[in-house]
Amino acid sequence: MKVIYTDSLVIGGGLAGLRVAIASKKRGFDTIVLSLMPAKRSHSAAAQGGMQASLGASVKGDGDDENVHFEDTIKGSDWGADQDVARMFVNTAPKAIRELSSWGVPWSRVRKGDRQVVINAEKVTITEKDEAHGLITARDFGGTKKWRTCYTSDGTGHTMLYAVDNKAIELDIPVHERKEAIALIHDDGACKGAIVRDLVTGELIAYVSKTTTVATGGYGRIYSVSTNAIICEGIGAAIALETGVAPLGNMEAVQFHPTAIVPVGILTTEGCRGDGGLLLDKDGYRFMPDYEPDKKELASRDVVSRRMTEHMRKGKGSPSRYGDHLWLDIRLLGKEHINKNLREVKEICEYFLGIDPVNELIPVRPTQHYSMGGVRTKSNGESPELRGLFSVGEAACWDMHGFNRLGGNSVAETVVAGMIVGEYVADYCENTSVNIETSVLEKFLKKEEDKITELLERETGENVFELKEAMQETMMTNVGIFRNGDDLQTAVDTLKDLLKRSKNICLKNKIRSSNPELVEAIRVPKMIKLAITVAYGALLRTESRGAHSREDFPERNDKEWLKRTLTYWRNESDDLPEVKYEDLDIMKMEMPPASRGYGVDNTIHHPDTEKRVAEVEEILKANPDADRHEIQNLLMPIEIPEKFRGQNERVGRGFK
Amino acid sequence: MESLLKDTVKNSRIPARLDFLQSGTGLILGLFMWVHMFLICSVIFGKEMFNLVAGMMEAKFLSSSGHGWPILVVFAVAGVSAVFVVHAALAIRKFPHNWKQYKILRQHVKMMNHKDTNMWFIQFITGFAMFFLGSMHLIIIMTNPEINSIASAGRVNGNVMWPFYALLLICVELHGTIGLYRLCVKWGWFIGKDAKKSRKRLQLLKQALSVFFIVVGFWALTAFYMIGRQI
Amino acid sequence: MEQEGRKLTIQILRFNPQLEGDTPRMVSYEITEAPGMTIFIALNEIREKHDSSVQFDFICRAGICGSCAMIINGTPDLACRTLTSKFKDGQIKLLPLPGFKLIGDLSVDSGTFMRHMNERIEGWIHDIKADEVDFNKLEERMDPDVAEEIYELERCVECGCCISACATKRMKDGFLGAVGFMKLARYALDPRDKRSDSDFYEIVGDDNGVFGCMSLLGCEDYCPKDLPHQTQIAYLRRKMLSVK
Ligand SMILES: Cc1cc2nc3c(=O)[nH]c(=O)nc-3n(C[C@H](O)[C@H](O)[C@H](O)COP(=O)(O)OP(=O)(O)OC[C@H]3O[C@@H](n4cnc5c(N)ncnc54)[C@H](O)[C@@H]3O)c2cc1C
Ligand code: HEM
Ligand code: HEM
Ligand code: SF4
Ligand code: F3S
Ligand code: FES
Repeated sequence: MKVIYTDSLVIGGGLAGLRVAIASKKRGFDTIVLSLMPAKRSHSAAAQGGMQASLGASVKGDGDDENVHFEDTIKGSDWGADQDVARMFVNTAPKAIRELSSWGVPWSRVRKGDRQVVINAEKVTITEKDEAHGLITARDFGGTKKWRTCYTSDGTGHTMLYAVDNKAIELDIPVHERKEAIALIHDDGACKGAIVRDLVTGELIAYVSKTTTVATGGYGRIYSVSTNAIICEGIGAAIALETGVAPLGNMEAVQFHPTAIVPVGILTTEGCRGDGGLLLDKDGYRFMPDYEPDKKELASRDVVSRRMTEHMRKGKGSPSRYGDHLWLDIRLLGKEHINKNLREVKEICEYFLGIDPVNELIPVRPTQHYSMGGVRTKSNGESPELRGLFSVGEAACWDMHGFNRLGGNSVAETVVAGMIVGEYVADYCENTSVNIETSVLEKFLKKEEDKITELLERETGENVFELKEAMQETMMTNVGIFRNGDDLQTAVDTLKDLLKRSKNICLKNKIRSSNPELVEAIRVPKMIKLAITVAYGALLRTESRGAHSREDFPERNDKEWLKRTLTYWRNESDDLPEVKYEDLDIMKMEMPPASRGYGVDNTIHHPDTEKRVAEVEEILKANPDADRHEIQNLLMPIEIPEKFRGQNERVGRGFK
Repeated sequence: MESLLKDTVKNSRIPARLDFLQSGTGLILGLFMWVHMFLICSVIFGKEMFNLVAGMMEAKFLSSSGHGWPILVVFAVAGVSAVFVVHAALAIRKFPHNWKQYKILRQHVKMMNHKDTNMWFIQFITGFAMFFLGSMHLIIIMTNPEINSIASAGRVNGNVMWPFYALLLICVELHGTIGLYRLCVKWGWFIGKDAKKSRKRLQLLKQALSVFFIVVGFWALTAFYMIGRQI
Repeated sequence: MEQEGRKLTIQILRFNPQLEGDTPRMVSYEITEAPGMTIFIALNEIREKHDSSVQFDFICRAGICGSCAMIINGTPDLACRTLTSKFKDGQIKLLPLPGFKLIGDLSVDSGTFMRHMNERIEGWIHDIKADEVDFNKLEERMDPDVAEEIYELERCVECGCCISACATKRMKDGFLGAVGFMKLARYALDPRDKRSDSDFYEIVGDDNGVFGCMSLLGCEDYCPKDLPHQTQIAYLRRKMLSVK
């Protein structure tokens, strides 16, 4: 039995995982990162558009601060977010970006003087302030009041991930590559590490640790078309679910991005629209202003995606052999801008579509993009029910995104959560010691060993690739942008059947070491379970909130549904998870529920809302002299690690 | 004792100097070959022209006897030979060190069929060939410093030396022009704003120079040959 | 451009070093071309329909992560963004990237290599004062042009094409290789990195470093991200030569 001991085990070498690893290593704890492949290949590298942080250096970000960022985030989440967490997040994001700058991210900078930009299809000249010259600049993104999305051309995630990984290399943090965590070791209500399969040798290794942090990214690949990397299969969340103890949160909250290219689903960044790109229908008509006269193409993602789908349903989509699609037009931005700031987009168009976006339209369609749900954690990043299990990044439901994430808030979340949760992870390492009986380890190891042996020995049975495809298709057709009870029921039924069949997978290639089919066979049953939590959660939630949009229940129903979904998979033999709900306490909200400001407001309000609104007003009235920091503290005091409590400086404004 | 502590030993500056020296000697040889070629080519315009040029090289116009000093040629040859030897010695470091490396190189060149790599392979082969051919030529000239159309033509025509010169010519021209091109990309000369475009242009120029010198060289060789046939 | 339903013959070098007694061999697979088919799609089809044991690495399938570099008809490139329609005769021959440890078939271990490379060049910002920076305060300013220039060099995806394309690297194992030069040039350009030229000389000032580069420029010609290798290596060479 091969066992590796460490203090802080981090599963996932993306931005989130690496940042946690850095935090625990800096505090002096032995740290190991596991990754399916080299850390720098993690999907974080694909984030093109940018990272939100309210630095307010660009003139179009004037007046931006934590409050505005907070408001945008909560509105974006359709009030589904945990406001404590969102607050911690907005306060820390400026520090995170500055830290990354010192680690080497070449953030695009403000250039003083005039520059031409495209706003609402018109060329406009804006004048950047002299005193902001050389500070980190920002671009416009959907669903934000200010230009707040900081970027490096369109390689933001890439440069961030490289800087963070290089920092990890500097700190000598080992990344064990081509290792897949396939089960968590837990005992006595505490997580004690993971059972890990070496993807090259096939060996199973027990990693034993004080803390285990799941930072494995999203689960987009339960859908057949997704902007996600093909390794975004949600295995981290699945193994947490399989403990039977740790719950997943808000799994039904799945975001669709408006502009992925057709048919392959590769993303063209929101930066395209942020920088002035337009959406056109088959007649070359710009339709978004008809639906959203205010924010137009730059409404929240869920909104734009829905509007596009609506428009296509009216027969306005351009037909193609892969179904209808719409067009993204960035021609008006000009060659120079595209070559410099949207170069990856240009490359993608050239290589995958054979077109030049400088002169041609890009065929796009809303496509699965982001998983708001994931391993449910408290605001310190720890599972509420399994001690020592932490989770960060897209894999987690730390819950600052609620039911819809804003563009640019995700890479920001990864590093901010990494910083904050990283401190709590280190605290936990400081205060505990692992003791685990060898027999327990053996039990966990043996269980996985047996499963694999069984897979390799089975002579007849199901084809794993077919099962996977069936699952992905079901999710695509029945659990998409617009959902309804019938389709969701179909999805749940189909998935239950697939889950049963997945217990009978038979492999053609019976090698124990590097064997891609075996990798699939281990993953697919886990993925089907995740798919069920999504479909089932969506079926039960009879309202529309953020990205979860029910045609049969179009209104947001705060009265009954202002709560977070928690999903447990209690027994291996179950075919459905247990679903519980956790109320969001309006009386503690800094920003009580209101209208998001898109379309008609059909919210069914909660009785507490009115009470809280009055209360907030009262607090404001009672403290006429308090500054915004004091007010914030009065409305919703939050706990945040000492290190990150300072106020953030902004150019021309100081620390106010 | 200090040298036992690895970190305190700084990297030597010698590799930098050697690299520079290699390029320097290459440049001298490369440019020398242009001049050499123009001089030799005088034979195209007839024996007299060649003799005149050769005479100038021996500074015949300075000596009252009109004989000049062939010793000057010996000095020149010695100088060039020194550069040649230094260059060759430095270049050998870049050769494949053993059979295995050579095999990898061959396989790589074949698989990739990449222009600049192919060119280097040519440089390697021609350099290797010149190791012998060039030295021989230099030794011959050094030991027979008398240069005039008759002597030269005799050398070219006699002892079936014609193929020897043809081979040397091809080697030196390919090697030299590629070498000069490489110098430009290596040190970033003549790059301008658009490096990729400039490189294309340099490649064309290199191609043109190779062809030009080889054509002219063969013309001269033919001329020597004809003269040789007459004597 | 794309011939409907044409047959593609895809030859793959098959070899699994994990299996005792396995020997390298070329195996041919025939598949039907689909519109817009990339080698990524083709290989997955082979794995799903023909032989589930074929090994290869794709992650982003969008030309972003650099994991899918392989030798495609003789030259290194990113397989995920190579359209099969590019090959007029429908013949595609795939080999794993040479110069890296083979994991199996088309999959190589470029990760370990890149980690060592980064350790060797110490590919991070060196600034002893970095830990004292107060992140509540305004960040250090940077000229917008400098930021752009750095980004140009940061676009490297560590795919390894430049390593496989370099005869020098192939022959001489200790040679740093273009990706290392690129990274080093990036840090040399960055005002936040306080290393001096002579510090950099310690890393690349020898025949395994920039003076070993024979300017073959396979790196420049096959870098899928079109990084300016020629200019940057020349720049490093001059810079290193000038170190006293
Ligand atoms: C195309 C695209 C563009 C985007 N653009 C933006 C943007 O502009 N702005 C923004 O804010 N957000 C953007 N996002 C979202 C954002 O990039 C991701 O949410 C974020 O990077 C996730 O980071 P992460 O660290 O949580 O996970 P990842 O970066 O996905 O890392 C997951 C890690 O976990 C490892 N792993 C997974 N499973 C296992 C296992 N079982 N065992 C061991 N290791 C495992 C993987 O190897 C990997 O290292 C974009 C997303 C996509 C798909
Ligand atoms: C024994 C004879 C010679 C040998 C073995 C030889 C070998 C080589 C080799 C291997 C290189 C490549 C070096 C590298 O890639 O870094 C080279 C470069 C070069 N050679 Fe030669 N060579 C010889 C003679 C000559 C002659 C006669 C000339 C003049 C025409 C010449 C001109 C050059 C030039 C200009 C370069 C480029 C220099 C550089 O890359 O730094 N060489 N030589
Ligand atoms: C100072 C040194 C040199 C002198 C004086 C010299 C002189 C001559 C002379 C006189 C000839 C005519 C043929 C003959 O008489 O043999 C000749 C031809 C030639 N030399 Fe040299 N040479 C020198 C150096 C070199 C070097 C270094 C090279 C290349 C390695 C070289 C390559 C050639 C070639 C290729 C020819 C044939 C040219 C032709 O007719 O096309 N020479 N040289
Ligand atoms: S420099 Fe280019 S070829 Fe080399 S690893 Fe980076 S991206 Fe790949
Ligand atoms: S291919 Fe190799 S030799 Fe130098 S120019 Fe590039 S590193
Ligand atoms: S799979 Fe990421 S570059 Fe090809």
